[in-house]
Amino acid sequence: MDVVFNQAFAGLSIASILLIIALGLAIIYGTMGVINLAHGEFVMLGAYATWALQTYAGLGVVTALPLVFVAVAAVGWIIEKVIVQRLYTRPLDTILATWGIGIILQQAVRLGVGADSRFVSGPHWLSGNIEIGALVMSNYRLFVIAFSIMVLGATWLLMTRTEFGMKLRAVIQNRGISECYGIEAKNVYSVTFAYGAGLAGIAGALITPLFSTIPTMGTGLVVDAFLVVIVGGLGSLMGTAAAALLIGEVTALFSIVINDTLGRIAVLAGIILLIRFRPRGLFPSDIRH
Amino acid sequence: MSQLQVRDLQVTFGGLRAVDGMDFDVAQGEILCLLGPNGAGKSTTLDLICGKTQPTGGSIRFQDTEISRMLEFQRARLGIGRKFQVPSVYKELTVAENLSVARSMKPGIWHALTHPAIRRSSKMQDILDLVGLQDKMGEPAGNLSHGETQWLEIAMLIAQDSRLILMDEPTAGMTIQETERTARIFRSLSANHTLIVVEHDMSFVRTVADRIIVMNQGSKLAEGTIQEIEANEAVKTAYLGH
Amino acid sequence: MNTRLSYDIIGLTLFAGVILFGVPALFSYDGFELNTFSRYLSLAIVSMALALSWGTAGLLNLGQAATFGMGSYAMAMHLKLKASGDGLPDFMGWNNVETLPLIWGPFQSLTFTLLAGLLIPAAVGGLIAIFMFRARIAGVFVAIITLAFLVAFQLLVIEQQGLTGGQNGLTGLAQLVLFGWKIDIYSVSFYYMVGGCLVAALIFGLYLTHSKFGLVLRAIREDAERTRYFGYNVANYQTVIFCISAGLAGWAGMLYALVLEFASPTYMSVSFSLAIVIWCAVGGRESVLAAAVGAILVNLAEGRLSDVFVEGWHMILGVMFLVVVMFMPRGIYGLLVDAGRVLRRKPASTKEALPFDTPLNPKQES
Repeated sequence: MDVVFNQAFAGLSIASILLIIALGLAIIYGTMGVINLAHGEFVMLGAYATWALQTYAGLGVVTALPLVFVAVAAVGWIIEKVIVQRLYTRPLDTILATWGIGIILQQAVRLGVGADSRFVSGPHWLSGNIEIGALVMSNYRLFVIAFSIMVLGATWLLMTRTEFGMKLRAVIQNRGISECYGIEAKNVYSVTFAYGAGLAGIAGALITPLFSTIPTMGTGLVVDAFLVVIVGGLGSLMGTAAAALLIGEVTALFSIVINDTLGRIAVLAGIILLIRFRPRGLFPSDIRH
Repeated sequence: MSQLQVRDLQVTFGGLRAVDGMDFDVAQGEILCLLGPNGAGKSTTLDLICGKTQPTGGSIRFQDTEISRMLEFQRARLGIGRKFQVPSVYKELTVAENLSVARSMKPGIWHALTHPAIRRSSKMQDILDLVGLQDKMGEPAGNLSHGETQWLEIAMLIAQDSRLILMDEPTAGMTIQETERTARIFRSLSANHTLIVVEHDMSFVRTVADRIIVMNQGSKLAEGTIQEIEANEAVKTAYLGH
Repeated sequence: MNTRLSYDIIGLTLFAGVILFGVPALFSYDGFELNTFSRYLSLAIVSMALALSWGTAGLLNLGQAATFGMGSYAMAMHLKLKASGDGLPDFMGWNNVETLPLIWGPFQSLTFTLLAGLLIPAAVGGLIAIFMFRARIAGVFVAIITLAFLVAFQLLVIEQQGLTGGQNGLTGLAQLVLFGWKIDIYSVSFYYMVGGCLVAALIFGLYLTHSKFGLVLRAIREDAERTRYFGYNVANYQTVIFCISAGLAGWAGMLYALVLEFASPTYMSVSFSLAIVIWCAVGGRESVLAAAVGAILVNLAEGRLSDVFVEGWHMILGVMFLVVVMFMPRGIYGLLVDAGRVLRRKPASTKEALPFDTPLNPKQES
């Protein structure tokens, strides 16, 4: 039983990380239909920014979060304006272009900072574990879980309660008519892309104490994040959250039953089947596109 | 034995009965026009016959075969062709290539693998001459003018040579001369083909229709010749609202 | 219409001439240089295979590396068995495998290996294709599903260490004896064999693209739904080209394993699969010949420049790719075609054609 609870917690932890990474991607894909294969590199940039802030400015992970958000969001904004904006009519080409951007970002970091793994220490006040019986929960992972829920909530509020969110939803549903009402779709897209990038940056910051920070850390993450978004369904925050939870728990579960790698393969196979039978995901929006 | 028999055809979209119990027959070589106010279900009926939409009830028999469960390409192979409202030629392919694709008597892979992309034939030449595009054979269809594109589409329909051709507002946006010319082409087609035409242009309908069905709110309101329809009180009420 | 075929034939003849005569002469028939070039030629085959499914049919198969890898492992398994004599391949001993796994057995036979390297990738491609295309999956989702499949496949190969050599791949391979011919991969005749395979693959590719099959695929690429209404079973067409493309990738993989003298999961990675896409895009995905040339040029540049720009080569590759996607989406081939069109264009007629005013059955004057 203890094993189950511990694995459930592990699954929740995986899910929370997947969620923050995937959320930015979901927003970008849901709004603009852009498959941003550079998203993993935005995470990586966030991780390196955190490392730099800790190493050179002595800032802790949590303190660095807002700065990292702004920094990576700025990078995202520039990329959208200069490159992505030109490719809206060519969806397959945006996949390739963002992949190219990802390579460039990765190489830039490798050349600038070096390929060695960088270490970032987590905040002292979050070290240690909470133990309930045989259930051991790392404080830091609990923090990440809580934070991811908070980010989800904040994003939801942004989408539903702010004027920007309303414009965003209008543009998602019908770009043409929105523009007739004076909403500058281009600006909405740029800000949205920046926001998604910023979220990825935060994700990168948060995972630095858990994973090694190397220039290639993004590649593996982006495929997983993508699959979460697809499973969750286009343009659906709820769907992304549900998918992250589902995939996180299933991955953890498979790790007990079979080994890690086979578990991952099984999850991938499951996702492929899901896309095939429900290509619009678990919680597709009801609007006929 | 009529070529097409539609019985109690129904389709529902999320609570809305778009087509509600349509019953009609079409004889070989006939030109049948479907009229009705917007939202009456005319295009949807064509969609149901060609397979774009699956019905939620009822039956469609074409040449004595039940087709309502068949996929669209299977129905096309049986001899049902469709011209859509929005012009749909292959812009990236040349005129000759468009015609070659349309010539789908043998749509199978084996045939496609063992034959060249374009085979010159007198029939293809005749069709191009008929629509006046014989000098544009190598031109990408995207470079054609609007009028030429419409003629290419008609050429493709002729090349496809379907026994039953479904047309959705073929004269939309045409001038009077263009409409008359289309009417002449339709009448010459009907010698060997059956046509079901959704239309709004009454003068065009008067020239070509052998028979008319007026639809309203998904079902048949009236059926008959042009004179019978024009005299029908229920039709006048549906169109004019009193 | 036949002008395009003429251009393609001329292009292919020139290409074959350069590859089979020009290049060896350029390198003074030096076996070592030619061996390096053989590597580019086998990569050219997988690039043109992608051009068939992506450029002609519009199906972006991001999992091309998986089928390529299957071919390379097939050849490597055969050669590993040959190198191990009567015993077990060495890595199996290290992984505590006692007897030869069942799937290894048939690879003793050269004939089986050659067929397997073509047919297994084709069959796997076919299964994925049926899975996707019966459900009318298209566009971006094809890319995603094939990508997911690639990731899963690479994981599986690495995980099954006892079966595949895991992360290290299969090394220590014997020389291939091809029906009595002991192949020295540093010989001129080996180069001719690889070159001959590439030319054969290109001829096949050109045949496909100029057949009605290729035309229907291009129609499907532009508007699959409309093509259905003409009676074509779109899913079948897509499946067939996907299989052919996968089989060709397997063939390329077999040659690659010969050239490199090992097979490795590195060549089944997402990065490698996207590299194939890059080569195809640079050359021009609409033309099998251009895609092949693209692969050769990019890899040649990498071979020469990565010594000069040791650290920065990948960055250059990334930038090049981005530039191509943004400004030359149809690759070098696209640029040439557009240039050709500009040079050949007759002055546009100033009056718009008014065919509707003319009587039926005219002989029009332009």
